[in-house]
Amino acid sequence: MDEAPGLSDQYRTASPWPVFVALGIPISELGLLFGVFPLAVGGLLLFCGSIAGMLKESGYVESTIRSLVVLSAILFAFGGALAFTEINLVTRGYATIAAAALLLVGGVAFELFVWDNKQAI
Amino acid sequence: MEVNGQLALTVLMGVFLIAVAAWLARIEDWRSYTPLAGGGAVGGTKEQYVSEEKPSGLIRWLTTVDHKDIGMLYGVYSLIAFAVGGLMVVAMRIELADPSMTLLSNTFYNSLLTSHGITMLFLFGTPIIAAFSNYFIPLLIGADDMAFPRINAIAFWLLPPGALLIWAGFFPIPDIIPAQTAWTMYTPLSAGVGSGNQMNAGVDLMLLGLHLTGVSATMGAINFIATIFTERNEKVTWANLDIFSWTILTQSGLILFAFPLLGSAILMLLLDRNFGTAFFSVDGGAILWQHLFWFFGHPEVYILVLPPMGIVSLVLPRFAGRRLFGFKFVVYSTLAIGVLSFGVWAHHMFATGIDPRLRASFMAVSLAIAIPSAVKTFNWITTMWNGNIRLTTPMLFCIGFVSNFIIGGVTGVFLASIPIDLILHDTYYVVGHFHYIVMGAIAFAGFAGLYYWFPIYTGRMYQTTLGKWHFWLSMIGTNLTFFVMVLLGYGGMPRRYATYLPQFATMHQLATVGALILLVGQMIFVWNFVQSWLEGPKVEDGDPWDLGEDNLTTAEWTWFERKLQTAVTDGGEEEDAELATDGGETVTDADDE
Repeated sequence: MDEAPGLSDQYRTASPWPVFVALGIPISELGLLFGVFPLAVGGLLLFCGSIAGMLKESGYVESTIRSLVVLSAILFAFGGALAFTEINLVTRGYATIAAAALLLVGGVAFELFVWDNKQAI
Repeated sequence: MEVNGQLALTVLMGVFLIAVAAWLARIEDWRSYTPLAGGGAVGGTKEQYVSEEKPSGLIRWLTTVDHKDIGMLYGVYSLIAFAVGGLMVVAMRIELADPSMTLLSNTFYNSLLTSHGITMLFLFGTPIIAAFSNYFIPLLIGADDMAFPRINAIAFWLLPPGALLIWAGFFPIPDIIPAQTAWTMYTPLSAGVGSGNQMNAGVDLMLLGLHLTGVSATMGAINFIATIFTERNEKVTWANLDIFSWTILTQSGLILFAFPLLGSAILMLLLDRNFGTAFFSVDGGAILWQHLFWFFGHPEVYILVLPPMGIVSLVLPRFAGRRLFGFKFVVYSTLAIGVLSFGVWAHHMFATGIDPRLRASFMAVSLAIAIPSAVKTFNWITTMWNGNIRLTTPMLFCIGFVSNFIIGGVTGVFLASIPIDLILHDTYYVVGHFHYIVMGAIAFAGFAGLYYWFPIYTGRMYQTTLGKWHFWLSMIGTNLTFFVMVLLGYGGMPRRYATYLPQFATMHQLATVGALILLVGQMIFVWNFVQSWLEGPKVEDGDPWDLGEDNLTTAEWTWFERKLQTAVTDGGEEEDAELATDGGETVTDADDE
């Protein structure tokens, strides 16, 4: 007798993050390709935020803020390269930088104001 | 106006992101009842929460990371794509019943042609294989789930946006028209050069969509390689790994080398189109696209055909009452095809004027790849030879696969030969040849798998008579449509045209009749599939195909039997159900004593 054949109790059977990771990629791609500022920023936020959430959920990292900082640094570098080098795609560069900044602000706010349930107990 | 538009979009995006965040907070909350009493709080970084229940309704399907659920999602998705791609081609075939332009405009025909190809290869072919492999590979190798369940979910969820982008040109969006580049997207046409209309954003959207499906396939492939290497049950060794897993492993290897290249080439094309680079005009010229595209494109053929071969190699022996003849050689031929598939791409380019010495070497390898393919074919035939053959619907589709694969393969061997290719290149012969493979073989194996495993994923049985109608209409339709195309090619009818000379009318009308027969067959399939899923008789025997009699049971049926015995539904309430069963049995035992 098998309690749940083919299913381990080590695994969660549900996670809310993958859908948003998958949505973030096309939205940010569309925004960056066509130079639509709000789409680029929103898509990148969705993508990077969901990545950070998923890393925390799966236990690969302990704190959300650290992964957000790393992701934001990558975006800063990428956006800087787009905006300030000879690539010269200014709108797209600033969109990426804006996303990086918002991500950083979001990370700090999350760290300061959101309490983990476990700490509360 | 411009600023207002931006503002509106910003507000919309902001609201969307806040909605997402709110929803996520709610969902995360839904899992906050961590069983702390069980000592869950002590454990450092290890996951402290175990979700035993899946959420219900739509949320379950949006958040699932269970390989079986994701397999089902892939299956539903790919069958919808199959219907879309199929209806597109029905419209095209009806247009071709008459030599002149009647039903569809020539440009709309070109759009359908482009979209039919991409839909069938990337939105139906690759995902239907992923449906089977997601559901069954972990069961066949005794794994708990895929190695990376969340990546698995991401890989699936990239596909619906991909499909929407690929079809975006058909939606009523102002100023966007569908791509008319054909699925090969040859430059300079696809680079938007010249006075045509292919600079339209519809082509960019299609390229982005294609890029997404490529990312999805790559993520899936990495996951399968990791799963098959690391998650096998200790009883499953390389020596007794089943044939389907072998083909999926090889296919994943091919994807790993081929799809990232497609992704890069697409990005280069997008840069050429939008940011003034010159990869495919000055630097490499139009021929560079063909090299990059076919270096991906030919392995793609084997990416699509190897797992269906695996399904046939798995299913066909079950109804022949024997083990697969020459199992080892079927595995070796799979690996050989996998390696050789990267050395044949320029046979798509024999007519482009590349160096004749290069051409000759590609001809040699292309002819050589016929050998492992033939090894498989002979092994399937030998498996059936003197076997105790049961002509169930999945078996019929397997035999149909072998038959169509032989015709598709032999016509391919001729095309591999340079002198013949130079005559038949860009004719309907080529279209007939590859449709024998993609429809006659790949789709047939897909149907074989869908029928064979129907009891496992639905818990019910399909209607056998309708299944046989589906097979025979598909078999006749396929052979009528595509054999006529081979003959049209001999007659010199060029590919891709919406109109043609009146001398080809009869043959084209025959092909249209064949396509309509196929349509009727697939309508029967849809009816049978949906109705049986909802109302078919419940399967109570864990071995509905009586595989045990010939000692041919495989791991997924053992799993299914156990599932039926323990009466576990997917997700919640498993403990209750099992308690009830256990209790019931105990009482009965007590009564007996």
